[in-house]
Amino acid sequence: MKEPDILTFMMGEFAASFPTDRHYAKNHMWGMKRDDGVCRFGFTAYAVRLLQDVYFLEWAVEEGTLLKEKQELGAIESKKAESALYSPMAGRLVQLNEALLSDPSTINVDKYDGGWLFDIEGNGDNLLSPDEYIHHLEAVWDVTQRTIKGQLNE
Amino acid sequence: MAKRIAVVVSQGQSQNPAKRGLEEDIVAALIMEPGIDVTVIPNLYDLKPDGTGILALDGIKGNLIVMSWLYERGARWILDRNNIRGQVGQTLIKADDQDEEDDETDARDDDKERVIDQRQIPSRRIYCIDLRVHDTAQPYIDEIKRIAEENTQKLVQLGDWLQGTAKPEQLERFATPTNTTALGGNGNGKRRPVEETSEPIQPKDVIRIEETGGRRWYPVIDYSRCTNCMECIDFCLFGVYGVDRVETILVEQPDNCRKGCPACSRVCPENAIMFPQHKTPAIAGAPVGLVGLKIDLSKLFGAPDDGKTAEEIAALERDEQLVLAGRDAVGMAVGIRKRQEGKSDEPRDELDDLIDGLDELDL
Repeated sequence: MKEPDILTFMMGEFAASFPTDRHYAKNHMWGMKRDDGVCRFGFTAYAVRLLQDVYFLEWAVEEGTLLKEKQELGAIESKKAESALYSPMAGRLVQLNEALLSDPSTINVDKYDGGWLFDIEGNGDNLLSPDEYIHHLEAVWDVTQRTIKGQLNE
Repeated sequence: MAKRIAVVVSQGQSQNPAKRGLEEDIVAALIMEPGIDVTVIPNLYDLKPDGTGILALDGIKGNLIVMSWLYERGARWILDRNNIRGQVGQTLIKADDQDEEDDETDARDDDKERVIDQRQIPSRRIYCIDLRVHDTAQPYIDEIKRIAEENTQKLVQLGDWLQGTAKPEQLERFATPTNTTALGGNGNGKRRPVEETSEPIQPKDVIRIEETGGRRWYPVIDYSRCTNCMECIDFCLFGVYGVDRVETILVEQPDNCRKGCPACSRVCPENAIMFPQHKTPAIAGAPVGLVGLKIDLSKLFGAPDDGKTAEEIAALERDEQLVLAGRDAVGMAVGIRKRQEGKSDEPRDELDDLIDGLDELDL
C-alpha cells in the first residue's frame, strides 16, 4: 500500500499536512469513507495545531444516535483551549473511539489514524475534497487568527 | 492552643497532568503544616449526594477551605446544595483581571429580596479557592497559611472579649457550634446531628476519598442572586426544578437534566443558575467581567454563529433536547416570560414589540 499524497497549508511558520486519501469537513475534521457507507472522522492537523495537547474529551451523545449536521456532540479540552464539538455530517453515530476517553493524547500523536474520533453512517455529500479543504483554510485562516488573538487580548 | 482548619482538594475532571500535579504539590506541602487537615475528593460537582465524598465534607464542622477547578461561586453553591453551609470566607486568590469590587457590588446593589435573605447561615467560614488562577502550589500554600492564621487570631480576639480564659473545649465549641438551631431554617435542609469532636494536634494522614460514577450535569442555584421568580421552573420541560415546603425553588431532580444543555441558565433574569462545567465562563459561575481562562474554539469548530438573544438560544437548546428525548419541539411558545420593563438591559427586539402589540389589542 503506497503512502497517500500530502497537501500542506502554512499556519504561520507551522506546516499543517493533509493526506489526500480522504475527505474533509469545514469544522476541521477529516472523513474517511468506507464502502459500507460509514465514514470515520478525526481532527485535521489544523485543528490539532490549534488545540495543542489534548487533555480531555467528552461525548454528550451515545452510539446509535441519529445526528444532524452541526449537532453538538461533546466537548474537548486541551492545554490551550476548549471547544464544543459538532457533527461534520448528518447520519447515524455508529461508534465512538472509546480509547480516547482514557488517553486522549492519541489525538496529538496519531491524528490521521489511531486518534480517530467517531464513525458516522450517512452519505456525507457535504464533505470537501482535500483541495476544497485547503481553499476553505485559506478563507478562514485570518478569522481563526483574529478569534484567537481577540480572546487573548481581552 | 492550636485550632485546626480543614482543607479539601477537589480533583479536576480531566486527565490533565498539570492539574493532578498541582493538586498533589499542594497536598504534599500541606502535610508538613501543623493544624491543617487535608482531604482529597473527586470533582466536587460530580459527587453523589449520598456518597462518601459528601459524607466526608459533611463531617467537617469547623472552618473549611475548598480548593477546586471551579469558580468560587460554583464551588460555594454546589456545597450549599449539599447542605454544607457557612459564611463566605474572603480569599485573596483572584484571577488578575477580576476586579475586587465585583464581589462587593455583584448583582445585589438593588433592594430586591434574594432567597439567601431568608436563610440562617452557620457561623463557620467556608473559603472557596479556584485552582485555575495560579500554575504553582506556593501561592495556594501561602493563602492557606494566611487563612489558618486569620482564623486563629479571630478566635483569640473573641476569647478576650468574652473575658476570662476559655478552656480549649469551650473554644472548640465556640468555633464549631453544636446547637442544631444554627443549621436548617431554610425549609429544604436536612438537619444532621452534629458530633462533638476532639481532634489530636499532631498532623494526620491525608484522607483520600474515591467515588465511582461518571460526570454529572445539573444546574446549581446561587441563592444570593435568586429571587425565586420561578422562570426556570416554567422554562425547563424536563422536571429538573421543584419547590420546597416553603415554596422556594430548588433543583429537585438534578439527574433529569439534559447533559450539555445550559438553557435554563440563559433564561434566568438574575444570572443565578450556573452549570459549573460549562465552557462559557458566564454560565460556569465566573464573576462579572472575568473572561475565560482558555480560548474557546467552538466558533471555529462549527458552532453556529448568529446574533440570537439568550432566550432564543435557550429555546433552541431546549428544542434540541426535546427532540433527542423523542418529544416535540416547542420553540419560544412555552415557559418564556415576556421580559418586564426595566428588568433587562438589552434593547427591545421584534419579539418584545410583537408581544406588546398583542397586549394592546383589547380582546
